[in-house]
Amino acid sequence: MKWYEKAGPSGDVVCSTRVRLARNLKQYPFPGRAGLEQKEEIKRKVRDALLSGNSILSKEFRFLPLEEMDEETAVSLVERHIVSPEFIADRQGKGVLISEDESVSIMINEEDHLRIQVLREGLSLKEAAETADRLDTLLGETLAFAFDPEFGYLTQCPTNLGTGMRASFMLHLPALQESGAMARISANLSKLGLTLRGTYGEGTKVSGAMYQLSNQITLGLSENEAIENLSAIAGQLIEEERKLRKQMGRNLVLQDKITRAAGLLGSARVLSTREFMELLSYVRFGAAEGMLQGVTPEELNTLSIHAQPATLMAREKQKLSENQRDVLRAQLARQVCGKIQYTID
Amino acid sequence: MICQACGKNTATTHIKTTVNGKLTEIYLCPDCAREQGYAHLFDDWGFSSLMSGLLGAAAPQRQVQKCPSCGQSFEEISRSGKIGCAECYKTFRSQLLPMIQRVHGTARHKGKVPGGSALQVVDTNKQMVAVETSQIDEKKRLLQKAIEAQNFEQAAVLRDEIKELEKKQ
Repeated sequence: MKWYEKAGPSGDVVCSTRVRLARNLKQYPFPGRAGLEQKEEIKRKVRDALLSGNSILSKEFRFLPLEEMDEETAVSLVERHIVSPEFIADRQGKGVLISEDESVSIMINEEDHLRIQVLREGLSLKEAAETADRLDTLLGETLAFAFDPEFGYLTQCPTNLGTGMRASFMLHLPALQESGAMARISANLSKLGLTLRGTYGEGTKVSGAMYQLSNQITLGLSENEAIENLSAIAGQLIEEERKLRKQMGRNLVLQDKITRAAGLLGSARVLSTREFMELLSYVRFGAAEGMLQGVTPEELNTLSIHAQPATLMAREKQKLSENQRDVLRAQLARQVCGKIQYTID
Repeated sequence: MICQACGKNTATTHIKTTVNGKLTEIYLCPDCAREQGYAHLFDDWGFSSLMSGLLGAAAPQRQVQKCPSCGQSFEEISRSGKIGCAECYKTFRSQLLPMIQRVHGTARHKGKVPGGSALQVVDTNKQMVAVETSQIDEKKRLLQKAIEAQNFEQAAVLRDEIKELEKKQ
């Protein structure tokens, strides 16, 4: 089972938790300045550090070189949040290591030589950080990371200096979004050293009321402090969202939107990604508030990933036209949402 | 503010044009701005340029110093906002320091060091203090012993060493 097919703590608002560590090998220039040959060497070193015979992790990870990957597989990695959109734009000299359940991955030669990433369902920042920390320590036994006592772990972009750690929550905030509070919240968060981003990270759009909340400052704050900071603020956002959902749940207009969305997802024959994401957001809302029954958070999480365009094709193992995808997406949605019962009077 | 072109997304760009003294203002979302050919505006307003703006303020104009390890000059760094290699941080330390302080509010790493664990090392600075204190305690214990044994020469040395350590705190 993949991590995104599960539902975790506080799953009504927190879809997933992510921790990523930026690391670079001491003896090579950063990826922006490294030649292709050097990148190949870096790739080999990182891969061997993890997959060589005596590594305890060798059985758990597989290595995917990016150059040989077809478009659907590559885009599907982005849709499953394993890699960033920039990572697959230029695939020369890049590779990615992925664990069996896809919750742990290492991007090689993205902005930094290594981007260690741990994803967990629901709210579980401590656990994700622990896993990332252990993996980093293990890799550090064979790889010499660039480190400076004053600046911490050295990174290509100075904004990642220090711990090199970016922790984030994927939050489903339909009520706050509906109330128009997001712009104000976003402005306030930046004052607290946190940022709110789109669904697929920096510079991406918000899709289906999914927001990424992450720490901004990495130097001068320890990993633990950054985590506590982020957790405290996320806790407030979660409470705010829940309170607002309770209020809004009594609103007839919103009830109508939720039941209509469930009806559409349960019966439509053609669904575009955009429409699907918007409708799914309402269904998530309704299911979390007990207005809809017969569908679990796990099923909705799985559906939200499987219905993405490239993941659809990767799972079908064939190229599909946009039209074919929309038909297939509607079919998946019907299987999950066709059995929804309405519990609103 | 909603984008005036598509009417859907949030406008993030405010474009003012003055043609023959007549001012036109339009608010656009990033997608529409790009479509309407304002893409170059974003290159100028993008993060790398914000960074290079910050770096530029600290850039000395005359010398062309290059990193001995990767050959990157500080001009190139301030243009791209990207550091060339680990060695660059040493080579251009004094130029980079003000910018790093502006971005992070501080330039003193706290947290994991290679070989350690992020979850145990809560505060490296505090730990260092703790080590110093225990050194003092140890010396004080030895001083007490020396005095008891009437070994005053050793006691004097220890007393001076303790004073020295206390000054450092």
